[in-house]
Amino acid sequence: MKAVKKPRLRDYLLFVVLLIIALIFLYPILFALQSALKSNGDILKDPIALPTTFYVQNFKDLFEQSDFLTAILHSVVLTVVSEVLIILIVPMAAYAIDRRKSRFMEFLYTFFLAGMMVPFHLYMFPLFKEMKVFHIFGTMAGPVVSYIAGSVAFGTLLYCSFLKTVPLEIEEAARIDGCTPFMTFWKVTFPLLGPCTGSMVILNGLGIWNDYLMPYLVLPSGKAKTITVEIASFVGQYTARWDIVFAGTIISIVPALIIFVSFQKYFVKGITAGGAKG
Amino acid sequence: MNNKRQNKRKVDTVALAFVAPALILYVLFIILPTVSSFYYSLTSWDGISPIVRFIGLANYREIFTSARFGNALKNTIILTVFISVFENAIALLLALAVDNVRFGKNVFRSVLYLPVLISGIVSGFIWKIMYNYNFGAINSFFRNIGADGLCQDWLGNTSLTLLMIGIVLVWKGAGYYMIIYLAGLQSVSTDVIEAAQIDGATARQRFYYITIPLISGTFTINFTLSLINGLKVFDQISVMTDGGPGFTTETIVYLLYKVGFNEGRQGFGTAVGVVLLFVIIILNTLQQKILRSREVQM
Repeated sequence: MKAVKKPRLRDYLLFVVLLIIALIFLYPILFALQSALKSNGDILKDPIALPTTFYVQNFKDLFEQSDFLTAILHSVVLTVVSEVLIILIVPMAAYAIDRRKSRFMEFLYTFFLAGMMVPFHLYMFPLFKEMKVFHIFGTMAGPVVSYIAGSVAFGTLLYCSFLKTVPLEIEEAARIDGCTPFMTFWKVTFPLLGPCTGSMVILNGLGIWNDYLMPYLVLPSGKAKTITVEIASFVGQYTARWDIVFAGTIISIVPALIIFVSFQKYFVKGITAGGAKG
Repeated sequence: MNNKRQNKRKVDTVALAFVAPALILYVLFIILPTVSSFYYSLTSWDGISPIVRFIGLANYREIFTSARFGNALKNTIILTVFISVFENAIALLLALAVDNVRFGKNVFRSVLYLPVLISGIVSGFIWKIMYNYNFGAINSFFRNIGADGLCQDWLGNTSLTLLMIGIVLVWKGAGYYMIIYLAGLQSVSTDVIEAAQIDGATARQRFYYITIPLISGTFTINFTLSLINGLKVFDQISVMTDGGPGFTTETIVYLLYKVGFNEGRQGFGTAVGVVLLFVIIILNTLQQKILRSREVQM
């Protein structure tokens, strides 16, 4: 309807200003990347100079001098196992809460959402004690069950807001055709929740991938824990070998970047749904 | 009648089976430790020994009289207010700019969001090195352009350290709030704007009298979110300063962690956590109140 106006001077001006701001925002990431490709001597000599050669010794040293491979494996297993279990558990609960309009379910909705206010730091000491009672302290199961429990609040909010847009007619048709409620959910409703599941896995998964305190405190000491924990321990340990630490930071950032570039729209959907309620 | 009741009960069993796994894990690993933390906050528990001694309100009395908590509270308020104000101001300006830019809108949105993807530890490390006095990017830049006078020991200068951590958090968080503001801006109907345009409202008037009031709900939500996130900052402090120099960057959460793990006073640490929870609940209630009063207005 509106005719496309020719760009005016202020349009170019806005573009240039935004470009400068974007470069400032991007710089620390570029700084990490360029430092990862420079020798320690070069980083210290001129930190802002670009690398002149494609130097990968830092990455070799990283894997030789630390058990970084185990850390990567732990990060991947924690993230993937938690997300798979979260998707098996949380959407089903949200479905029951949204579709059954009973007093109890209304209470449950508020009860679950209240979890968003409770800071992890408050309950971590009693939580670890409880983990010891269940014999899951010092195992991967400890963080996994905590991550699932921690995802219930945001997951219920996200799925319940999305479920309102899924029409009931299809479910009713499936029920008349003799589907059990369980089958109806997984075969009919769940596939329609794809975008919501995408947002959930990506936002929640990023939080687990980047988490520090839980794996640092719960996983057994004396061995590599997760990527984030290893990087934090390098900072204290290799105060003179920044090159190695930078190589580690790149390995931490790149998977998140790839996921972000591939699934951008899910990020936006999940964030705005979370922000809609607060 | 009997049949109907049976039927209803059967339905509830199914629903209960659907929520059971989530409910059990949530109660076991969030609610139970949260509720028991109220109990532990009344003890002198050290976190290791099985003996938990009940000491009543002594921990709370210590919290409200100790200089260390007062200092941590002051640091937390400074850091949280700094983060919330700048995060929201920058995020809103960026959202307006990205919304209006004529070229490369999506690229800008993505690039400004990138810092959100980075873990707290990694962002803290990168900036720690950039802030370094001798070999950091910021001081090298100043030296290269001949402005040696601007060089600072960014993390060592006790009057700057807390704000330097705040800058890292604003850089890391602004993109997140920008996305929410963008969604808010896009929900402002173009009809309203065009109607105002026809009535002769200038761009500035349209911004102040239409856009701002219509995104004020988004603003309330973002401000509350950033306040609560500001209260919980931990990773950057841990990797950049460890609460130092001295106690200049020790916040409530960091104090809680340090007394709990380094000083073996988890009862006291938990009491600090309980205080934090109440602050968060108050902030949330205020947000709901403000939002609701706005709704009535509209």
